[in-house]
Amino acid sequence: MRKIRVEPATVDKQTQDQKKKQAALYKAIWRWHFYAGIIFAPFLIILAITGSVYLFKPQIEQMLYQDFYEVKQQKERIAPSEQLDIVTNHYAGAEVTSYRPGEQATRSSEVNITYQTESLTVFIDPYNGSILGELNSNNRVMDLIEEIHGELMAGTTGDRIVELAACWAIVLIVTGIYLWFPQKKRSFAGTLIPRYTKGSRVLRRDLHAVPAFWVTGGLLFLILTGLPWSGFWGTNFQALVTNTGEGYPPSVWVGAAPTSNIKTKDIAEVPWAAETLDVPKSKLEGFIPVSIDDIVEIAEREGMHPSYSVIFPSSKEGVYTLSAFPPKAKDEATIHIDQYTGAVLADYRYDNYGLIGKIVAVGITLHKGTELGFLNQLVSLLICLGTLLVAFTGVYMWWKRKPNTGLGAPKAPKIKNMKPLLFLLIILGILFPLVGLSLIFVWLIDWLIIQRMPKAKRFLNA
Amino acid sequence: MKKTLLVLLLACFICLLLSACSLLKQDAASLYKKEAPLEAEIALPASIKANAVAEIKVTLHQNGEEVNNADYVHFEVWKQDGSAERIMEEAEKQGNGVYSIKKILSSDGLYYVKVHASYNDSIIMPQKQFIVGELSEGDLNYLQKNLPKQEENHEHHH
Repeated sequence: MRKIRVEPATVDKQTQDQKKKQAALYKAIWRWHFYAGIIFAPFLIILAITGSVYLFKPQIEQMLYQDFYEVKQQKERIAPSEQLDIVTNHYAGAEVTSYRPGEQATRSSEVNITYQTESLTVFIDPYNGSILGELNSNNRVMDLIEEIHGELMAGTTGDRIVELAACWAIVLIVTGIYLWFPQKKRSFAGTLIPRYTKGSRVLRRDLHAVPAFWVTGGLLFLILTGLPWSGFWGTNFQALVTNTGEGYPPSVWVGAAPTSNIKTKDIAEVPWAAETLDVPKSKLEGFIPVSIDDIVEIAEREGMHPSYSVIFPSSKEGVYTLSAFPPKAKDEATIHIDQYTGAVLADYRYDNYGLIGKIVAVGITLHKGTELGFLNQLVSLLICLGTLLVAFTGVYMWWKRKPNTGLGAPKAPKIKNMKPLLFLLIILGILFPLVGLSLIFVWLIDWLIIQRMPKAKRFLNA
Repeated sequence: MKKTLLVLLLACFICLLLSACSLLKQDAASLYKKEAPLEAEIALPASIKANAVAEIKVTLHQNGEEVNNADYVHFEVWKQDGSAERIMEEAEKQGNGVYSIKKILSSDGLYYVKVHASYNDSIIMPQKQFIVGELSEGDLNYLQKNLPKQEENHEHHH
């Protein structure tokens, strides 16, 4: 009998404990979401804005550079080698780095050169050999946008920051979904559609959480397809996958291209002195590089996508590389050609990628908005705009309820009692070492400084 | 707190270690589509004099083996200043992967030989620069002004 009387009380206490625990967990997750949001919102905003613009690169560049791009088709084309001669005669001392024949009959060809330490693209009419214009790589608007999007114009440091922001966006998504998930009753209001009649505070919350839910899938997709080309996580991921045979073949993303089969001693040397022969005659005899005309012929023979570029060897042992990364991943190709014999040393098409390589390749063209054409650009733009909205409303709702003193962060419970959260952070910290590193950094700061400074502790609610 | 810190530190350390080890394997290329490029050694006499017979040989290998029944082996020889006729000739099969032509070059100067060969889906066109007798002043200027490059060739050989 006694037992029966006691039981309901224990159950009651248990559910109460459970509730307390849950409330504490909610607070802890909110706290992480809050700090991650405040810190990374500015970066996500930058990424979303530059991303929205970069999506339309093809259309924008077509508009900006129309005069450089379009030529009138005529009967005979000038040999590529002559086009290069025209460029190197015009820019004395220039070194050709790559040549792009142009994908259509009405498209100019492009010669990339290094000229007085500047990197220039020279546009040529392949029918009459006239130079249509030049663009300095430093001044190309889209390159600038890309540089901000990829590395905040701050080189490796910037690249790591962008990667960190992307990884933390995943933390934001996961914690965000937890906070978004209805606690009591399931209802569309406040989850799938905002509640307009429950007061401004609820509306502000819903204008953040509801669009965030709608944009989550797309944003996660953009993050996961963007990460493989990041500098730290991406490079290591690519190397790991390439090593298994399931990724990109080496040299397409990570790894070096093959080298020429010709031994250096068999290559003809070039005399440098102006009047006397400073190189023994025998050293002048030897292999010389095949001409660009042969390379273009090989490209046509091998069926390269017409948008390909020829990248010139940068050293005596180097190779000519034919490279095409057209709008659709299935048309990608990378071919390495021995610069002295014209032999195809490696020929990697989309079909030769491993399974993960194929997925990453399609992910990248989808990320860039080229794979599915205009529809792709439109959907990606919506995701970017949605992300902007969510970032702004997130900051705004904090701003509106921010107390006059302190940051207004949710109180920090002991992390030790928060097994699920701790587990999540450790998993993410392992999957994304930069997140792990930043966590360690945060903990160290907290442990060494914040916990020892009452003022800071109060401000951050730590 | 300290334990947590330790666990995290350890986890991240392992990660960094992993990423350091994951640098691309040297033989990763062997896991993907491989090519079997023809390799050519072009042998010229140590010194060639004008109006004397000179034998130019090419030895072909593929996958480390001699190639004795190439689809075709053609030699194309021309002079830098364009004063000699540019001719494409079929090579004579010598066995042991060797193909050769005999050639009489009528004047001193800077010459080029280009071998066109094909076997088993690999097509190559290696070219060598060589000297008959002495170089003319024009040849020297050419060598100093230009990185070695050939004159344009618009005829097709097959």
